Amino acid sequence: MTLSCRSVVACLLGFSSVAGAVLAQQRDTTTQPSSPVPLQVTFNRDIAPILFHYCSRCHRPGEGGPFPLLTYADAKARARQIAALTSKRFMPPWLPEPQELRFADELRLSNEQIALFQKWVEQGALEGVPADLPPAPQFAPGWQLGRPDEIIEAKKPYTLPASGSDMYWNFIFRTPVDRKRWLKAIEIRPGEKRVVHHANILVDRNQSARRQEAEPGAGFPGMELKIESETFDPDSHFLFWKPGIVPRPEPEGMSLRLDTETDLVLNMHLQPSGKTEKIQPNLGLYFTDKPATLFPLLLQLENDRQLDIPPGEKHFLVTDEFTLPVDVDLLAIYPHAHYLGKDLEALATLPDGSAKTLIHIPQWDLNWQAVYRYADPVPLPKGTTISMRYVYDNSGENLANPNDPPRRVVAGNRSSDEMAHLWLQVLPRASSDGAFDPRMLLQENMARHNLGKNPTDFEAHYNLAAMLQTRGAQAEAIQHFELAVHLRPQDATANNALGASLLAAGRIGEAIPYLYAALRAQRDNFDAHYNLANALVSQDRFVEAIEHYRAAIRLHPDDANAEANLGGALAETGKLSEAKLHFQRALRINPNHKLARENLEQITREPKNLQQ
Amino acid sequence: MHRASLTSQQPLSIFLSLVVAALILLKLPSSPTAQKTALHLDGTPADPFLAASGKPVVLVFVRTDCPISNRYAPLIQRISSQYGAKVDFWLVYPSRMASAEKIRQHERDYGYKLPALRDPQHALVTQAQVRVTPEAAVFDANHRLLYHGRIDDLYVDFGHARPAATTHELDDAIQAALSGKTPPHNMPGVGCFIADLE
Repeated sequence: MTLSCRSVVACLLGFSSVAGAVLAQQRDTTTQPSSPVPLQVTFNRDIAPILFHYCSRCHRPGEGGPFPLLTYADAKARARQIAALTSKRFMPPWLPEPQELRFADELRLSNEQIALFQKWVEQGALEGVPADLPPAPQFAPGWQLGRPDEIIEAKKPYTLPASGSDMYWNFIFRTPVDRKRWLKAIEIRPGEKRVVHHANILVDRNQSARRQEAEPGAGFPGMELKIESETFDPDSHFLFWKPGIVPRPEPEGMSLRLDTETDLVLNMHLQPSGKTEKIQPNLGLYFTDKPATLFPLLLQLENDRQLDIPPGEKHFLVTDEFTLPVDVDLLAIYPHAHYLGKDLEALATLPDGSAKTLIHIPQWDLNWQAVYRYADPVPLPKGTTISMRYVYDNSGENLANPNDPPRRVVAGNRSSDEMAHLWLQVLPRASSDGAFDPRMLLQENMARHNLGKNPTDFEAHYNLAAMLQTRGAQAEAIQHFELAVHLRPQDATANNALGASLLAAGRIGEAIPYLYAALRAQRDNFDAHYNLANALVSQDRFVEAIEHYRAAIRLHPDDANAEANLGGALAETGKLSEAKLHFQRALRINPNHKLARENLEQITREPKNLQQ
Repeated sequence: MHRASLTSQQPLSIFLSLVVAALILLKLPSSPTAQKTALHLDGTPADPFLAASGKPVVLVFVRTDCPISNRYAPLIQRISSQYGAKVDFWLVYPSRMASAEKIRQHERDYGYKLPALRDPQHALVTQAQVRVTPEAAVFDANHRLLYHGRIDDLYVDFGHARPAATTHELDDAIQAALSGKTPPHNMPGVGCFIADLE
């Protein structure tokens, strides 16, 4: 029987617009080799190396930067602009403060570099001598990871209006695989990069996002998505794009599974440019023969319930903390808030009492939200407490405040609502005895942690129950499924899960009403039809059971178990020739289906019965 | 007596020459600008004030490659359509590098339907006292500069735009030019420095 365990992950997608107060010039506390500012600053000797390293990746034809910065002429025609934007640290965009734990691909200018731009402009933006000019950076044209094995394009373009506020659009990509495949990389080509602020791929293993499309392939609007998964298959990878990002293959062993029914949902934050833009993104898929051997997990700290920010409040604090039940390596971090977010910080307090800043963004700007990967994995032992500390500004002084005048703001999915999320990509260290999947222990503890914050958290009860069910703690699992159903009596998935759980515990009579409730809530729920049919068989109610197996098969014509069990129920009612047909179908779907084979052999051994 | 009459005339002639010198000095600032001129897209000299006798003149300075001025395109077009023939509305491209063909393409791309001028020598930039794109200048019917600066307060700084503008200086200034009411204070715009184009 199928016990469906849904790990509900609310995924965040982010978005933008202007944030916060004017960036004050920040002190750079990193120890930079302080090269003295030369008496005369020239483009060729002093400016070009900085532009080539920090700017040209985006500021070149076809990329997101609004103009190229590749030559002296390019830079001279923007000299004051460059000096002004770098001094405010608006460019290059890099939000985190310098810290001990380094990030990969940091884009932070030193104070000395910023001073060079100022002096260059003051002195008349001189070119200098040709011998000083370093070679221009070379960028591979087209796909940065080489020719993809498969390119998928969004079925229909989205037309972004010329003006208006920021837009969040989701494209659903049907994946072109005919069997389970492993991906070593996905490269995102978002289309017109000048209007795309960032993009995020969510793996939808259950095609659940399709329900939001008005017609297949049309895509749908929305800033934040919730993707449901029916198996224990927690999100594991950040699949993120922002202007200038250097796409990288996943680390060895961390390939991403793609099943035939997997959809990839690309959530994009778009900003009108002044003219109508057609956006039709492409994904480049790079396959590998090597299945995943390492299983990272995205952990989410959050405290949306604390978000109830009065109008005018300038310093509203939201916190959460979670203690790791296993050793992990922290690979990447993704803080997320909307327009009222001001100062976002995450800390790790190790069991020995020492503390590490994981990230600190003193001037949050949703426009430039990003996934930050650590230069090296950060080992965090069991017992480490990760804490987030987010400060929100709901006053009129916060220029990004979407409400004028400010109004009370609570958590929600719209850009005018708020969020307090911190995602961490962690790689759990394998348990010494290999007896349990450390991801499940993390998920279980996370669900308990969430129930501590909110005893009426439906998803936490559901997820906790699913983890408990999987590790055989049946009685406690049933308790939490019951609490989930109590919180949402109309939820088909929860009713089905409770029914299935009771069924597994042999409590058939109690299970049946919940399975019927699941079907009342959702007539086309495969799992509920199948589980109910199994329950009815246990009560020898074969005729009713047959009806539900047939309904299940109509929904999933390629389910070998449903075919085999239908055959069994038909055989019980004496319809042997029809039963034989379904055993054969089950075997066509799965030639190794043991039950179908045994039953088929049994009724074939008794050919006289087929006359009936 | 003769001597006396000479001395009596001398101060007068000095006074006259001083007046002449003063007049020349007053004319000096205007003569160099007179040599600079904006251009129509066909390359002929353009004077947006000559054509607009008795009508207010609005100049909006933009650049083909300035993301902030581009984002304003729909609003600039909307305001210009709204006032129709009551004011003379011009887009001004202060970049030497922007060819007439590039400007025509830019107008098509961004849906501009108003006439465009090139201002490679910054004749109009100087006259309008603008610093960045996009900024606007509004001249009244007598072609006195009433307002120059931002279009509205959507942008507070680079990368810091409000969800929506809360002031509308360009619109207010045009209404002031038409009605004789007090124009708004000049407010600096946020955008791309025109001085970078020198």
